[in-house]
Amino acid sequence: MKRVQIMLLIAALALAAGALLAYSAPLDRLQGEFTRLLYVHVPTLWIAFLAFGLTALGSVMYLIRKKERWDRLAAGSAELGVLFSVVGVFTGMVWGQAVWGQAWDWSDARLATTAVMIFVYIGYLALRQATADPEKRARRSAILGTIAVVQVPLVYFSVNLWRTLHQTQSIRPDGTTMDPEMLVALLVNVGAFSLAFIALLMGRMLVTRLELVAGADTELAGDTVSPPRLSEIEDV
Amino acid sequence: MSLWRQSLEVSRVDLLVERRLGDTYRIVLPFAVVAMMIFSLALPSSVTDIGDVGVAVFWAVAILYGMQVALRTSLTETQQRRDTVMLLGLDPAARFAGRSMAAFVLLSAFMGILLVAMILLFSPELPRGWLIATLGAILLASAGLAMLAVLAGEVSAGLRNRSTLAPLIIAPLVVPLVIGASQVLESIARGDGILVWILLLITADLALLTVGVGLAKPLEEASR
Repeated sequence: MKRVQIMLLIAALALAAGALLAYSAPLDRLQGEFTRLLYVHVPTLWIAFLAFGLTALGSVMYLIRKKERWDRLAAGSAELGVLFSVVGVFTGMVWGQAVWGQAWDWSDARLATTAVMIFVYIGYLALRQATADPEKRARRSAILGTIAVVQVPLVYFSVNLWRTLHQTQSIRPDGTTMDPEMLVALLVNVGAFSLAFIALLMGRMLVTRLELVAGADTELAGDTVSPPRLSEIEDV
Repeated sequence: MSLWRQSLEVSRVDLLVERRLGDTYRIVLPFAVVAMMIFSLALPSSVTDIGDVGVAVFWAVAILYGMQVALRTSLTETQQRRDTVMLLGLDPAARFAGRSMAAFVLLSAFMGILLVAMILLFSPELPRGWLIATLGAILLASAGLAMLAVLAGEVSAGLRNRSTLAPLIIAPLVVPLVIGASQVLESIARGDGILVWILLLITADLALLTVGVGLAKPLEEASR
């Protein structure tokens, strides 16, 4: 518990530093104040990719080792991955409305594949929710978690493969097209959001363990109610 | 018995059960054709040539209703049957392959009939070479959808909301197949090459085959 609290405090400080740098970084001449959305949009979607990668890692390791902590890692990462990708998509939509003149375009490969990726993990979480037995849940979701990750590279490389409004990567192995001050602010924010992700993941994994220890798995609706037997009802 | 023979046997039994129950051709196929008709009725008046949307409607209906074919109720097994099959020593990989082969046969025929229905209903203008390209896309998309449905059916086996949960699992994962299959005809119409889309379909199929065979054992354990 103490470690989670310390991590949350460090993450909060890092996020504050990131916000300060984002505020002081120069603005793009055409995008104006909307440039600042970059410092939330890019880190949150990077973290979403990382989270879904960790879900796959946790799933594969669970299938190999059968240790419950790998299942907790996979589940916690998937939940946070969905959360971060929704935040990333939302900030992208706000930016798109201001800069492109439209929040969403279904013919854009990056937008469409990102939306699909979120639904893959919503399906993963729905499967977990539907399976009451913890061991069955872990096994089944580990298989789905292993398959689901194939969408992640499709989303990442969609800007290079298909027709798209979305710009290609600004940071590439051969250099960057960004202003150095903006780059520093972006990298600090990526680090800060990563710390926030780690803190939240540690917290989620702790809560899941406590739930398992306390046997807090709630019964599915309908399991708690059984129909009365006819012999118990008078005047039938 | 070799893995191949076991797979063929599983496939044969699945097809036999399906022939007796007739879920695919007596229920899902007419339902899918009606869906195509409803699509054409729901189009706005600004769409002057209905043939323009025919191919898109075909792929949407083929994939969505194909899920129902691949997850048909005749696949549902009792726990006793699962235990018996396991005790008989059936290879889990053969079970996966056999079930996928049966679903592939049903889906290919299902999509083939739907294609004819779409041409009759929508009368689309089709470019030269469309038939071979579309049949190739149907076969590759059917193979991928069949394997994906077997995987999703197994992970959701025995759950009370299987019929709604399994399509939710499959639908987003089927996207590479939809993109690949639908772009084949569009590329021919534009005069572009189709190799990249065929390669996308083949890559998706191979990835699903590798995952399905590689995870066959844990998949069997998970579905119990």
